[in-house]
Amino acid sequence: MRILVVDDSTTMRRIVSNSLRAAGFADIVEAGDGRQALETLADVGMVLTDWNMPVMDGLSLVRSLRANPATARLPVIMVTSEGAREEVMEALSAGVNDYIVKPFTKEILAEKVRLVLDRLGSAWM
Amino acid sequence: MDVNFINPFVLALVNAMEKMMNLTPERGSPYLKREGMTQGDISAIIGFAGPSVTGSVALSLPTAVALKFHSLMVGETVFRLTADVQDVVGELANIVAGGAKTALSREGITFNISIPTVVVGAGHSIGHCSGLPVMVIPFEVGKHRFVMEVTMRME
Repeated sequence: MRILVVDDSTTMRRIVSNSLRAAGFADIVEAGDGRQALETLADVGMVLTDWNMPVMDGLSLVRSLRANPATARLPVIMVTSEGAREEVMEALSAGVNDYIVKPFTKEILAEKVRLVLDRLGSAWM
Repeated sequence: MDVNFINPFVLALVNAMEKMMNLTPERGSPYLKREGMTQGDISAIIGFAGPSVTGSVALSLPTAVALKFHSLMVGETVFRLTADVQDVVGELANIVAGGAKTALSREGITFNISIPTVVVGAGHSIGHCSGLPVMVIPFEVGKHRFVMEVTMRME
């Protein structure tokens, strides 16, 4: 299954992508902001997105995905340094399926991805 | 500046290093910054502002520490302060500011944080909010030393 990693930091994209590959997820594509992400959705089965990005932020990306019937149920995990309760609630209200606060361990990241996939599987497709 | 407000930044840095690098830095005694010059070869600074607070946090690292952090976080080795290394230092500052923001929000202190600015070169200066005292918190990892600078004004 293809996973789309969205972050304006090339380093963070690499950290997330390398962590996913180490956990056995081989098909990874990347985007530098929300707008690029919307153009990179072909065959994507899950999105991991940062919140704070230029051009289009992660929250706007999630709202855009949820507003489109084709991606309304696409599994999305927010991976961000924004960890205040209000922000977590805002992201969940926008439609993210789970929330990972930076810093994270590689193990936590992989486990959260597996849990969301186990919960949602390919039911959204 | 209330020194108690420094702790969330310190804890956020230690937490980030332990989780993402498997490193636990040793913290030295904080002191007020006197000279204008920064101690590192590369620095990342993030400003923050909210209804009741204004300030900034910066990390300033010697080249060896920045390269080590890059290697541990990304899993790749480089030998100079490349754009990727600058990105790592900026991202670490972002995580520290985000962690402190989360902790301070529990005390009712809320703010938004800026995108990090990274400066490279020996003898560079960091532009904190003018006129405010800057606390310097030294850290050691192995034989290397680096600093975090924090300044904050409560309205």
